[in-house]
Amino acid sequence: MRLAIQGIGVSGGFGCGVAALRTALQTGSVEPQQACVERGDKVDNFPLYRAEIAGLQDFFAKRALRRIDHFSKMTLLGACLALQDADLLEADRSRTGVVIATGYGALKTTFDFLDSYLDFGYSCSSPTHFSNSVHNAAAAHVSMQLKATAPSLTVTQFEMSVPSALLTAQQWLAEGRVDQVLFGCVDEHCEVLRYSRKQFFADGESGPLQPFNFAQQSAVPGEGAAFFVLTRADEKAAYACIDSVTLGNHLACPVKLAQDDLLIAGADGHKECGRWYAQALKGREASAYAPLYGSFPAAAGFDLAVAALSLSDRTLYVSPGQDGEKTALTDESLSCLKFGPGGDYGLIRLSV
Amino acid sequence: MNQKIAITGLGCLSGAGMNLAESLESMFRNQRYPHPPVRFNTDHPVSYPVLELRDEFKLPLDDQERVYARTSQLALAAALEALAAAGWDEASLRGKRVGVCVGTTVGCALNCDDFYRAYKDGDDPELDAIERFLRSNPAAVIARQLKLDGPTQTVVNACSSGTDAIGIGAGWLRAGACDIVIAGGADELSRVTYAGFSSLMITDTEPCKPFDVKRKGLNLGEGAGMMILETDAARGEKKACGYVVGYGSACDAYHLTAPHPEGKGLKQAMNEAFTTAGVSPQQIAFVNAHGTGTPDNDKVETRVLSEVLPGVPFVSTKGYTGHTLGAAGGIEAVFTVACMQRGELPANIGFDEADPELSGTPVAQNSKIDAQFALSESLAFGGNNAVLIFGKGDE
Repeated sequence: MRLAIQGIGVSGGFGCGVAALRTALQTGSVEPQQACVERGDKVDNFPLYRAEIAGLQDFFAKRALRRIDHFSKMTLLGACLALQDADLLEADRSRTGVVIATGYGALKTTFDFLDSYLDFGYSCSSPTHFSNSVHNAAAAHVSMQLKATAPSLTVTQFEMSVPSALLTAQQWLAEGRVDQVLFGCVDEHCEVLRYSRKQFFADGESGPLQPFNFAQQSAVPGEGAAFFVLTRADEKAAYACIDSVTLGNHLACPVKLAQDDLLIAGADGHKECGRWYAQALKGREASAYAPLYGSFPAAAGFDLAVAALSLSDRTLYVSPGQDGEKTALTDESLSCLKFGPGGDYGLIRLSV
Repeated sequence: MNQKIAITGLGCLSGAGMNLAESLESMFRNQRYPHPPVRFNTDHPVSYPVLELRDEFKLPLDDQERVYARTSQLALAAALEALAAAGWDEASLRGKRVGVCVGTTVGCALNCDDFYRAYKDGDDPELDAIERFLRSNPAAVIARQLKLDGPTQTVVNACSSGTDAIGIGAGWLRAGACDIVIAGGADELSRVTYAGFSSLMITDTEPCKPFDVKRKGLNLGEGAGMMILETDAARGEKKACGYVVGYGSACDAYHLTAPHPEGKGLKQAMNEAFTTAGVSPQQIAFVNAHGTGTPDNDKVETRVLSEVLPGVPFVSTKGYTGHTLGAAGGIEAVFTVACMQRGELPANIGFDEADPELSGTPVAQNSKIDAQFALSESLAFGGNNAVLIFGKGDE
């Protein structure tokens, strides 16, 4: 069943809101911030696409946000921006489902909870950190703050989180369980992630991010939230429609790409995933926009937002770091292709 | 009304037993095996009993694959048992579109506290624990080990994850996304959840007592419960051991850890399950309740059961398995179908004395039943509520 995208809410390294993402697409570059982790006498400076959440106070009083962590704040901001974009901030949400895709969940709060007992003993474990470290805490905060009482779901499937969760959002709408789905893709960065990535990839993540250099590790970490208000496509779409969501494994059965579709590759500088794009694309042209928001599992949600904006603007934006001019989009469809390191793939096809 | 989906195989392991047959045997003998945790230590001044697996389990894995986290190994063990019961193996699944939908909590949390302790101490710890985490997404592990081609999804809806995973998996078949689905839940015992639940002060220092007046909280457990769901085309003449006939879920949107006092979301989820099943509450023969043994859960749950399903027998099997978190919905779904097949319900172990504040009492002794339909329900952190309705299998 086709889904209509009625609203988009984004917060990432490029800024906050659809206008910021469009500006980033038009200018073709976003400089990551310089982040720093100090541990003992070690100082580690590295590039990071960090998400901005200051705008959340436009939607909620400060008091309502206390005890809500950064991960859930990013989630809430993305959700509110998408509802605002769809002009549904004041609407009844008793038939609005919440579906969240995340690769890692609330990482910082997970480690904050471990801090509570490693620093002070098990009898001092923090119940607040524990309950907020559970993967579906962010979805719960969305449901509570926005009074969304329909089904709620959180999915974590690393790189496949976004297409996998989208499959269920599509199913809920097809079955008539809900009238709308607030579909969000969220991941946060934390210093332990930086440590791990540095140990894995050494200086391979110092930038710049080169999505099409499949033979080299060039990922630059990022974080952010991309949200969508989805309805059945019997309502006219504000941006574009999602025609199909397909998941599979390229090793077990190679991905089938429609001959004429334009492609947005989820290539984000991860060498281990890059080899699958090389195999599947076989030299075919594709676009990739990870240099605008960085590398993290839920960034596939930003690819989806770019596809929807491109179809809505009837413009194929130039991939960052590539030569050329933006071109008028004559084709009426676009597909987002995302690979995981084991050859798992998700293919999301959109059209106007 | 939704099309019913055939269940062709069941598998489970938990503190009650290393497979489904062993689990049923110990439950119908009314035996349970809670004890202080053996697999990990803490300096917590109070020792809370848990229900760990009583034996080691073996999987056909090579050295590289043995690094999978315990949750994924549990998921795989239950999936292999269920597949064997359904008459499938890796070779016969080749060429089929097979989906995997697994619920978990611990299985997707970066809870590597030994690694993190070393990191905090300023050391540069090896990344074995991180690599294990990255390899161990439960749905991906099952798909990878069996070389499957189809959708994979790991549901992290806290304690309703396993129930949601089965409902979602059944939906994939109805939507034509695949031919067969391996669905259920898996979770391991962990020092992190042990510390977390004790911090919330909802664990009992004695074996748990669901629905009893002296109940003080839950016992944690570990395990996995999986079922094989098939389209009619995929199963051919194969008999079904049960059917998924209804599924509903809803969010309380009330509190992060406490259920809505009137069970608003649970009622909504039950109503949706009845509607999708085309079944009336009067047709439900028994309920496998969430029944954690915490004061709040049991109060809300009996209140809703007395309103929606008055007089319908209900049982919590968590006295035998402990609360297995993301696995609970999978394990309890498997028990529900198995009890329908067997025509018998086990006693709600731990229940001894009725609580006058609760609106009902559970099944206190092993009881014969003749069920055409039964219901299994889960309540979860985040205010999630999920309900499955099962139909009796083929004779």
